[in-house]
Amino acid sequence: MSFEVVIGIEIHCELKTKTKMFSSAPVSFGEKANTCVNEIDLGHPGTLPAVNKHAVELAIKAASALQCEIDPVLRFDRKNYYYSDLPKGYQITQQFHPIGSHGQVSIEVEGIKKQIRIQRIHMEEDTAKQFHNDTGTLIDFNRAGTPLIEIVSEADMRSGKEAAAYVEKLRTILYYLGVSDVKMEEGSMRCDVNISLREKGATTFGVKTEIKNLNSISNVQKAIEAEVKRQSEILLSGGTVEQETRRYDEAQKDTVLMRKKVGSVDYKYFPDPNITPIRVDAKWIQKIQEELPELPDARKQRYMDTLGLSDYDADVLVQNRELSDFYDEVCEYCKEYKLIANWVITELSAALNKQNLKMQDNPCKAEHLGVMINMVKAGEISSKQAKTVFEEIMKGNDPKKVVEEKGMKQMSDATELLSIVSAVLDANPQSIEDFKNGKDRAVGFLVGQVMKASKGQANPAMTNQMIQEELKKR
Amino acid sequence: MNIQKLREQDVRKRCEEALAKAKEYQKELNAVVTFYDIEEQLQNLKHIKEDAPLYGIPVVLKDNVSTKGIRTTASSYMLDNYIPVYDAHIVEKLKQAGAIMIAKASMDELGMGGTNLNAHTGKVRNPWDSDRISGGSSGGSAVLVASDVVALAIGSDTGDSVRKPAAFNGVVGIKPTYGRISRYGMIPYAASLDHVGYFTSEVKDAALALEVLAGRDDRDATSSYEEVPAYSQNIDSDIKGKKIAVLDNVMDEIQDEQVKQNFYELMQKLEKRGAIIEHVTFDDKLMQMLLPVYFIIANAEATSNHSNLDGIRFGLREEGNTLEEIMIHSRTKGFSSNVRKRFIIGSYALYTENQDKIYKKAQQVRRLIVEELKRTLDMYDVVITCAAPGVAPTIKDCENGKLSNQYQVADNHMVLGNFSGYPSMTMPSGYINGLPIGVNMTAKPFDEQMLFNIGVAIEEETGIKNCCAEVKA
Repeated sequence: MSFEVVIGIEIHCELKTKTKMFSSAPVSFGEKANTCVNEIDLGHPGTLPAVNKHAVELAIKAASALQCEIDPVLRFDRKNYYYSDLPKGYQITQQFHPIGSHGQVSIEVEGIKKQIRIQRIHMEEDTAKQFHNDTGTLIDFNRAGTPLIEIVSEADMRSGKEAAAYVEKLRTILYYLGVSDVKMEEGSMRCDVNISLREKGATTFGVKTEIKNLNSISNVQKAIEAEVKRQSEILLSGGTVEQETRRYDEAQKDTVLMRKKVGSVDYKYFPDPNITPIRVDAKWIQKIQEELPELPDARKQRYMDTLGLSDYDADVLVQNRELSDFYDEVCEYCKEYKLIANWVITELSAALNKQNLKMQDNPCKAEHLGVMINMVKAGEISSKQAKTVFEEIMKGNDPKKVVEEKGMKQMSDATELLSIVSAVLDANPQSIEDFKNGKDRAVGFLVGQVMKASKGQANPAMTNQMIQEELKKR
Repeated sequence: MNIQKLREQDVRKRCEEALAKAKEYQKELNAVVTFYDIEEQLQNLKHIKEDAPLYGIPVVLKDNVSTKGIRTTASSYMLDNYIPVYDAHIVEKLKQAGAIMIAKASMDELGMGGTNLNAHTGKVRNPWDSDRISGGSSGGSAVLVASDVVALAIGSDTGDSVRKPAAFNGVVGIKPTYGRISRYGMIPYAASLDHVGYFTSEVKDAALALEVLAGRDDRDATSSYEEVPAYSQNIDSDIKGKKIAVLDNVMDEIQDEQVKQNFYELMQKLEKRGAIIEHVTFDDKLMQMLLPVYFIIANAEATSNHSNLDGIRFGLREEGNTLEEIMIHSRTKGFSSNVRKRFIIGSYALYTENQDKIYKKAQQVRRLIVEELKRTLDMYDVVITCAAPGVAPTIKDCENGKLSNQYQVADNHMVLGNFSGYPSMTMPSGYINGLPIGVNMTAKPFDEQMLFNIGVAIEEETGIKNCCAEVKA
């Protein structure tokens, strides 16, 4: 029996707003517990929610970038359940009318492109964070009320690789949009995966399990692969998969049971009477959509079509928005797009790595790198010299000044060079003799002498050519 | 005593006297949950301009209004130890206007009730006859105006919780348009029906108070941007040509001849002043649905609204071995059986399997009822009826459950104002055996001015204005 894997993914993503979804308390990460809260976040009696307009803007951005239809009327519903991390006893969400629906995103796995449909994107508020220890449970309400979007895919993925590619793609898009930090390890992006197996060709779905709290993209793939193995072993041995929630254990490299789904909780969703439906101005939506930043796919296409980069180079740049933004900035000062890509991808990345710096802390100015590459192209400095100059511009120094101060400027003036070449030839009659006797090695020796005489500043290509020409004249 | 008259007295004297009176009447009326120490507020008056609209005027708050640093129980054992960390929007407004809060008034627990017999601090008594109920749920507030302790008392109105006790206590009680006054900081009953309302001893004071309390508040998403007019200055009791609709569904049910006579005599007087009085009848099937629809919507919302009362962060906390046990024990002990019953009904209506046939259907019927009212108010300036079928019932009759289903429409019609959100006001129209009865008017959205105008005309006809009960202390 061979199985088809069916995967759907729910992603919760914290929006990068200054204040919370329904209160004016600041959104925070890593602050002292319970310092970024007000009476609304704590669910005190009599408090009311007021919708954060910036959160709506970010949700519209995300929904638009994922090609969703936008609901022009904002409506919020209550999801009712009792838990200590849920201060009001209900979560405000958008059960009945999500802000975005029917979107899609394209992924590419091993050269094959595929569209993954987005079922819905809705806004909601985060819960508090709980810490369980020996003496009891501590609750930090700083996170309570933080704006979230939940992005729900259709069950369109068929392998761990596709799932990982989907999460990576969403992560990149959301990061480009600036709507979220998308840090899986810090929980600003959280990923729940639903997996089921079915016989190839079957049209109905098998029983699914849900894997929660995956904290990295590589774990998404590993967890799915482990779970597929587990489920297929059960099915092949004639067993049945049970509907349950599992988590990925990195040490065991396997999924482990968190809880069985016994019946389903009735959340008694109903429209929140405290927030009357809000009609969103169509012009505002349009303005947000028009001002969407360039997204990774479009940027990659531009790099390949307009700037002539290879698929690989374009990919490497686009994966890292800061690197790619820097690349674009350098392109404003220099038109040698491929050369820039080489420098940015190889030299810049290596230099940052060596200094243990993030791209955000890059000390090199785009203008400086552009100017330096122009100097190489114009033959003003050699590629070898450029490496020395690069070390200096990584300290924030101006390449022109570096070249001047170090006396590195390459000698490309023909008259100046000719006088040195003539002097060298005059001083080495034996080499001229050797050349005439067919010993080409002599040229190399003479070039070396010119370099020595010019203290390394002679343009090597010009020198070589000039020596050959002058030798023929003798 | 009205606000104007109070202003003629010394600030400290009038505030201290109000507080002393409230304390003196407490044994007889039991209207207060918490008394204020007013010294700090009196000191703070130096930051307020003397011409502020309520400068040094003693006021009372229903105990579901959040007051920073002052215990706010909503008359529930669940919140017996709860001290808010913030002020409700209306408290901020009252402070800015110079008001001095002297007491937090008793109510039916969490606003659930119409008798004020169901308060954690015990039953509240009617100052006109202490064997009778004050009505509820804003009973304490109504009683403190009716007994001339204060000229203004804040209440809240989800079904008729201001307008019914106003009738039983012979005072003015108004619930302005939904969104006119911010609800921020008022402990809810049912969010889509809840209104901030208040009591005064005459209509002009009601107009003045609305100028203080109304206005947009960004913390209440349902609060209106509609401008706040100078209601009290704009009062015009010339009601010539005003179209008044008598709602016959209510009047037909009323059996007490004295009540009817009082009402129709008043209508004749208004007609004499040039008002056009006509009779309207709403679809009786819809009117029979008033109470069930109210009960479903109010309790469905309430069960969700009060899910925050779980014993975890504030309020009563009973121990248990698990989180679930702590919550269950706290809520079981914290709420009276009446409240728990309502939560169960509300929860039942919200279950996914029941929602379509109970909760959503109730919402649909609510809309039909509102459309019926709107059609009438498209043609008339106000709809008028008796506020209640009679005088305040006795505590004994209420406790025996004798009253439950006697008047399906006449006892529940004021919920029309909550379903629609339209402004609605009750005011005294006369006395039967020394006990007050009242009329109720409902106007178009944001047309509170119409209520005040006709209200003053009624005062001029009845001569009932600032009439307070004498309390034997």
